Amino acid sequence: MLEAIKLTKYFGGLAAVNELNLIVNQNEILGLIGPNGAGKTTFFNVVSGFFPPTSGRVLFEGRDISQLEAHDIAHRGISRTFQASTLFMKLSVLDNVFTGYHMSYRTGFLKRVLHTPLARKEEEGFKQKALETLKFMGMASLKDELAANLPHGYQRTLGIAMALATNPKLLLLDEPATGMNLNEKKAVIDLIRRIRDMGITIILVEHDMKVVMDLCDRIIVLNFGQKIAEGLPEEIKSNREVVEAYLGKEESKNAA
Amino acid sequence: MLSRKFIYIILVIVILALLPLVVRNPYYIHLFIMVGINAILAMTFILMLRTGLICLGIAAFWGIGAYASAMLSMKLGLPVWLSLPAAAVITAIIAAFIGAFLVKQGGFGFIIQTLAFGFIIVLIFGTFQVFGGYVGIVGISHPEPIPIPFVGSMTFTSISKMPFYYLMLFLALLMVLILTAFYSSTAGRAWRAIGLSAHLAESLGMNLFNYRLLAFIIASTIAGLMGSFFAHYFGTLVPGSFGPFKTINVHVYAILGGINFPILGPVIGSLIMTLVPEFLRITEGVEPIFTGIIMILLVLFLPDGLLGLTRLWQRRGKPSENTSHHMN
Repeated sequence: MLEAIKLTKYFGGLAAVNELNLIVNQNEILGLIGPNGAGKTTFFNVVSGFFPPTSGRVLFEGRDISQLEAHDIAHRGISRTFQASTLFMKLSVLDNVFTGYHMSYRTGFLKRVLHTPLARKEEEGFKQKALETLKFMGMASLKDELAANLPHGYQRTLGIAMALATNPKLLLLDEPATGMNLNEKKAVIDLIRRIRDMGITIILVEHDMKVVMDLCDRIIVLNFGQKIAEGLPEEIKSNREVVEAYLGKEESKNAA
Repeated sequence: MLSRKFIYIILVIVILALLPLVVRNPYYIHLFIMVGINAILAMTFILMLRTGLICLGIAAFWGIGAYASAMLSMKLGLPVWLSLPAAAVITAIIAAFIGAFLVKQGGFGFIIQTLAFGFIIVLIFGTFQVFGGYVGIVGISHPEPIPIPFVGSMTFTSISKMPFYYLMLFLALLMVLILTAFYSSTAGRAWRAIGLSAHLAESLGMNLFNYRLLAFIIASTIAGLMGSFFAHYFGTLVPGSFGPFKTINVHVYAILGGINFPILGPVIGSLIMTLVPEFLRITEGVEPIFTGIIMILLVLFLPDGLLGLTRLWQRRGKPSENTSHHMN
């Protein structure tokens, strides 16, 4: 579904992503792990069009999307969440999700400005759909709450709800379980499974190994912008290089 | 079907329509005409601000519309009722080209470049004799008389301000209608989203450049239309009045009212800033000091503007009620 070919992204002299070759299969949950600074979020940013790659290509459904801008990539069917709680803070929860349907309008722009009955009907339809999505996530009771007032865990899931509203084929989840307690993590795991059951392909960046091992069909490990391991969760768990990559960072942290 | 809001709006329009019959002093009617123009200009500022564009060139487009209409009616002999919309079209075209370049520059570059553009426009109007130079243009024709059903015809002279007031009111209400239509559509929601979080909006498929450019073109065209009205109302154009100084005044009107209130804020702000100096008998030379003081007070104490206070009271008074901004 998605293929990165010799993907490279330099920031000044530093290669955040270095000749990365990666394949994502349809409807799988692919885990992307690695120590901090390994290039995971940069990879997301390049794939979702926020940064152009320095060299290399990204193919989505066989077509080259390397040079596309973020909004075009969203139209192609790739959506993402952000590491920080990126939401429309001043809007209500419902309005946040409702905004996610922006791409889905069929009525023409002029008709929408003139508020023709057809346009208004479509708008009502999307408001309903936004409510449905919130119900799917178990957040319907919060619909009128200000996004800024939500507890952290709900803010993360709201971000996922918005990405879902765009009806993506591929969903990039950037650390969805960060800052969540055990119950919230269980709920997120369940949510991601249900999203996959809808037919969506998922790439998951996550630091919590339990979540990763539980959810992912396959795991790719990055370090210094390169792939150092790839395989099934059990294989990765016992992979010496992977453990070293993480432990190495741990040791240098303890030494410092 | 008749909501409270609708009734309030009708009430306001009726009051505005009857105003010149109550306030007969032509000088005060002139003030209200200026309040109307300034309010609309402030609305265009907020339109662009919503999408993350801080424009320092609003007065420049106001001037482009004014000069365009003056040129069309004086040099080409077009009837005023034709040169008014034609000037708006010219402003729109210029805004499209210049805007494409300016918006591409990004946030900070946009601010600097619109400031530069503001100065350049004044320079152009002042340097080229075809525009009348720094002395300006005088004797711009008033709009031709128009027939009003049941009443007769409405003539526009320098003496009676009433017809100009009604023309301004008509134009202002039309602009408010257009702005409201856009704000309550997906375009308005997109603008809001882009202003709140551009990255997020992008990831949801919104083309930042297109939406920002759209806001810029609409805002500048509206400013231009008000400018063309101004030219045929005031009769005289001096390049100096279309510089960034005027734009900054417009900013103050908008911020004083409250930038979160795209229609009401500018009306309140421009009302206060135009009328208060009158009551305080502040002369023209001293007015910049008054404006400056208001600016400083706003930044220090009231960044959300006067209408922003109402939100504060709402929040304090009713803690159980939700306080989210509903997109409508």
